[in-house]
Amino acid sequence: MLLDALRREAPADPLPETRATVPPTPASARPPAEAAGRGIAVTARDLRKSFDGHAVIEGLDLFLPAGGFTAVVGRSGCGKSTLLRLILGLETPTGGRIVLEGPETGPRRSEPPKRIMFQEPRLLPWARVVDNVAVGLSGHGSRTERRERALAALAEVGLADKAGQWPATLSGGQRQRVALARALVSRPGLLALDEPLGALDALTRIGMQDLIERIWLAQGFTALLVTHDVAEAVAMADRILVVEAGRIALDLRVDVPRPRRRGDSDLARLEGRILDHLLGAQTDI
Amino acid sequence: MMRPTPLGRLRDTAVPWLLPVAILLGWQAAVSTGLVSNRFMPAPLDVVRAGWEAARTGELWTNLWVSTLRALSGFAVGGGIGFALGLANGLSRLSERLTDTSVQMVRNVPHLSLIPLVILWFGIGEEAKLFLVALGVFFPIYANTLHGIRSVDPALVEMGRVYGMSRTELFTKVVLPGALPSIFVGLRYALGIMWLTLIVAETISASSGLGYMAMQAREFMLVDVVVLAILIYAALGKLADALTRQLERACLAWNPAYRSA
Repeated sequence: MLLDALRREAPADPLPETRATVPPTPASARPPAEAAGRGIAVTARDLRKSFDGHAVIEGLDLFLPAGGFTAVVGRSGCGKSTLLRLILGLETPTGGRIVLEGPETGPRRSEPPKRIMFQEPRLLPWARVVDNVAVGLSGHGSRTERRERALAALAEVGLADKAGQWPATLSGGQRQRVALARALVSRPGLLALDEPLGALDALTRIGMQDLIERIWLAQGFTALLVTHDVAEAVAMADRILVVEAGRIALDLRVDVPRPRRRGDSDLARLEGRILDHLLGAQTDI
Repeated sequence: MMRPTPLGRLRDTAVPWLLPVAILLGWQAAVSTGLVSNRFMPAPLDVVRAGWEAARTGELWTNLWVSTLRALSGFAVGGGIGFALGLANGLSRLSERLTDTSVQMVRNVPHLSLIPLVILWFGIGEEAKLFLVALGVFFPIYANTLHGIRSVDPALVEMGRVYGMSRTELFTKVVLPGALPSIFVGLRYALGIMWLTLIVAETISASSGLGYMAMQAREFMLVDVVVLAILIYAALGKLADALTRQLERACLAWNPAYRSA
């Protein structure tokens, strides 16, 4: 399984650094790789971003605790994808700052990386499925080691039998699962999901939501899901942020215990509340 | 899909050959019966005989070798420079701004029109042919390499960056494979130009090679040798194309468009 495969990771195998304020401590102080304590905490202070003078994010403050599952919802163009890209470092903020804090222990060089799952799978069409997953381990370990871990990650998403195939032969849902395996193979501390399920059909989508939730519970990374599907946000997240005009307009906790049942009345009530807010905001403009 | 029976497979391979075989038979019949004078068009069997004769004396092999060597060396030089410049201009804005306009201007000069000038510069030696072939091959390789690199999906490049690929990895795993289909188009186009240029150059000025062999035969009214030379050029062109196709299929196996057919 993935967890076992990742536990073999040697300290001499450096992963991309995330900025941390914690001084390095000896490797012996590292706790075993288990669900708790792998997540990266995210703090944003007075974050601003504008494109060509047009402000998309305006003075946003945010704290995401390590290991939480947060969903960001909002109407299209509200800046939710930009927020995610800023946190991932894909865009540089115009103002303010973002601090990422890795787990409190462990040598600095083996801090978990941050990973993103895009709207499209973005697989390399000329690489076999297993090699696509191994892209998630770029620059780490030997070729055989990367392959072994990639195979384990594929097994985790239920695609072990597709390892030798070309991406072109997979269905849309399978491709997105390969992309998930690629994101998870390096054991990320932060997984950003940029509407990764938007293009899938309803049933495949529910399957993927359950898969992501299950892996998140097992690995304990910080999950940040950007979506325009309020039902999806409510079903998966601990906390929901509604973004409007570059600011957080609503910050809600979802206290429904897991595993959550689809169609649960508490979830439906929450979904209704968020939708009312979003639609209300629309009529204001 | 239905599995083809052995008979069906035989039929599938045979069908494309029906027309050429029929034409050959008709041609032989027309010359044998005197319908066409063999001073204008030799019978296929005469061409085969001429080929056998040239092969026996070794004349054919010497000329074939000389021509092939010219073609390949010209291709290596021109194609190499075209590929390198295509890569440089695809990867570096500065390099592109510096050279692309000039290349596009020179491209509009038909390279065969330079033959008189080239003869003045190099005489009728090997350099002249190498220069012309290299020049002809350069442009299709350059333009298609550049276009290939330009058309690599930026979303994949971004993915590679986010997933921590080094610049070298980004090039070898994302940019180059993405540009490959287009590079192959340039390669096949360039191979056609390579033979064409060589034929013209050898026909006009040479003292060896297939084109020279054909011109000599014309002097002596050996029409069967002339046709032989033409057919060999055709076969060489076909061979080059088939080899490229094989290479293409091996390198682009991931692409459903190249997988079969």
